[in-house]
Amino acid sequence: MKRNQLMLGVLLAITSASAGAAESAPSATESMAAMAHSGHDHAAMMGMGKPMSWTAYPTLKVKSSGESRERMVAIVVPQNIAADGIDAWSNNLIDENGRRRLPLDMAGAKLDKPTSGGFHWLAAREEQDSAVRVASSVYYYGERGAANPTDMFMHQKHELEIVPQPYPREHSRYRANEDWKFLVRFNGQPLPEQKIVLETSNGSRSELISDAQGVVVVSIPDDFKAETEGKKAGHGRPGADFVLAAEHADGGKNYLTAFNAAYGKSAFDQRSIAMGLGFTLLGMLGAVPLLRHRKAKKNDAPEQKAEA
Amino acid sequence: MLKKIFPTLGRFRFTVQIVMLFVTVYGGALLGSYTVDRISQALPSLACAFDKQTADHCILIVNQHQLHHRIGEALVKAQEITLKVFVPTLISVATFFAFFFVLNKAFCGWVCPMGTVQELLYRIGRRLGRPLNRFKPDNVERVRPVKWLLLLVLVLGLPLAAGMGYAANELGDPYCQVCPSRLATTLLTADTEQIALRTGTNINFFLGALGNAMFGFVVIAALAVRQPFCRICPLLSWNAMFQKLSPMRLVKKQYDKCEKCGVCEKACPMDIHEIGREHGNKAFHEDCTLCGRCAEYCPDDDVIQIRFFGIRLFGSSRDYYKTRVKRESPEGMPKNRVIWLKQAK
Ligand code: SF4
Ligand code: SF4
Ligand code: SF4
Repeated sequence: MKRNQLMLGVLLAITSASAGAAESAPSATESMAAMAHSGHDHAAMMGMGKPMSWTAYPTLKVKSSGESRERMVAIVVPQNIAADGIDAWSNNLIDENGRRRLPLDMAGAKLDKPTSGGFHWLAAREEQDSAVRVASSVYYYGERGAANPTDMFMHQKHELEIVPQPYPREHSRYRANEDWKFLVRFNGQPLPEQKIVLETSNGSRSELISDAQGVVVVSIPDDFKAETEGKKAGHGRPGADFVLAAEHADGGKNYLTAFNAAYGKSAFDQRSIAMGLGFTLLGMLGAVPLLRHRKAKKNDAPEQKAEA
Repeated sequence: MLKKIFPTLGRFRFTVQIVMLFVTVYGGALLGSYTVDRISQALPSLACAFDKQTADHCILIVNQHQLHHRIGEALVKAQEITLKVFVPTLISVATFFAFFFVLNKAFCGWVCPMGTVQELLYRIGRRLGRPLNRFKPDNVERVRPVKWLLLLVLVLGLPLAAGMGYAANELGDPYCQVCPSRLATTLLTADTEQIALRTGTNINFFLGALGNAMFGFVVIAALAVRQPFCRICPLLSWNAMFQKLSPMRLVKKQYDKCEKCGVCEKACPMDIHEIGREHGNKAFHEDCTLCGRCAEYCPDDDVIQIRFFGIRLFGSSRDYYKTRVKRESPEGMPKNRVIWLKQAK
């Protein structure tokens, strides 16, 4: 039985760690991780990452491991970028895990679950001569009472940034056919009319332009092919990945930033409006006799007779 | 001044209900988009977690998920049963109770969006001149156990069994799959995802079809029956378990004239016949939603009262009764107002 087509990507409002972390688990394969991470040599990584990857933009793959919910560990693997470590911001910016530097090894960077749990902003950065490249993504550790992540998302972390407005909330995810907003900013200031590229692991590509407030509305494409179920994302639900990328030149430097996340099939996949309405109508019809005025019956109490 | 705006308890309650309908259905738009922004995540009302704009959500989904993913799964790996497994559930129940303590079952009569939607439909039914189908005492008795059955099986039993691997995984949140509030609140936010039937597996399909049909039935039945869904609502029974622990109470004293009167019974949207025939503890029945209509329509002084820590918040009175029945009959029929369809005939 497929584990959880239940509540396809809707808020499953539990308060415990339960499904949360698993849900945001992305779809990296082990081999990909190993390949892309065979060393810190820039050229080697770029060369090896490319043919395997569905995009040339820098991305972060996160996979979770550990059997018990309490001891979940996530492994962050950078792709198409040569970085020495991963920076992780937690949704509780002021505590000791507010910002951590995670060392990278062959398998990736380990992100333990801090007691505060909640959302983490992950980034890898590469600076070579006049080129600055940033990969960024989000990971969620389920935890009751985790702090509000809005400040963490809005906090300036790099020069050029793509910030989700908002990110899908806990127990929810990006889904095909949905519109989501992103803010593009440079040194903390919104970038109007900035070109953004969207690429998906299902092969879609499109270009968008930010509005006067630096906001782009991204329609997640419904590009799952009928034959391929898609890769299994957490909760066993078919999933794919998308990346948004922006490039901006300033002060003789060229900045490239990418934000990647997983997305699932459309909300209406494996749902039928027609049947839904059909059964609702059926129920309605069943209640219609109640609407008719009843005739007084022999055994009625006096007040019931009066009513009738 | 206050008397002018709220001439009756009924008007006051109606205002609170409308405000709470907006809070529970659309309030998240003000609070923020993340679940942590929700007020309590364990409300004693059917504010629905599937409504993407809700400001809070009900305790039932929390129960189901914790039983499924935490307790059920941990019970299977017997060695891992520590207090820690139960902590989130205990926290949820404590959060729930922190709210419940203050208002008791008034969460049903004053806050629950599903309760309000049904009352609004009943009002529309009055305007359309539809009859009132009352539950006779023996019918009420017959229906009452259903809410306990739903709580036991759909909210507690099946999710636990699913977590332990004895039931299919889709049975992890079976009550949510049939819950009419999921459909009512999401449709109120113009979201059609929930009304669309899930066709993924047979269980999903069957439960979904049942839920949609029940929702359809409730919407139409509510035009001619008061609170049709509340009578079998598992949150009514869940709340009833904690009812006696709250200082907010419905208090009825023994009064000889009750036997011949029975107006409060007619006014009760839950057809609780005990309110007219009993007194003391028995009169504050497990089905009571603390709507206060019985106290409004009791024609004698202080026979029925709503008390908080023993302090009288509202009590029946002859004068109040006289003005109240001028506006609306105990059964909820508005007076001195145009009743379109009925008059057109
Ligand atoms: S479907 Fe019903 S029980 Fe489930 S979260 Fe919504 S209101 Fe609560
Ligand atoms: S009994 Fe009625 S008012 Fe109370 S929670 Fe259930 S639906 Fe809401
Ligand atoms: S007993 Fe009174 S307060 Fe309780 S539901 Fe009936 S009318 Fe409302």
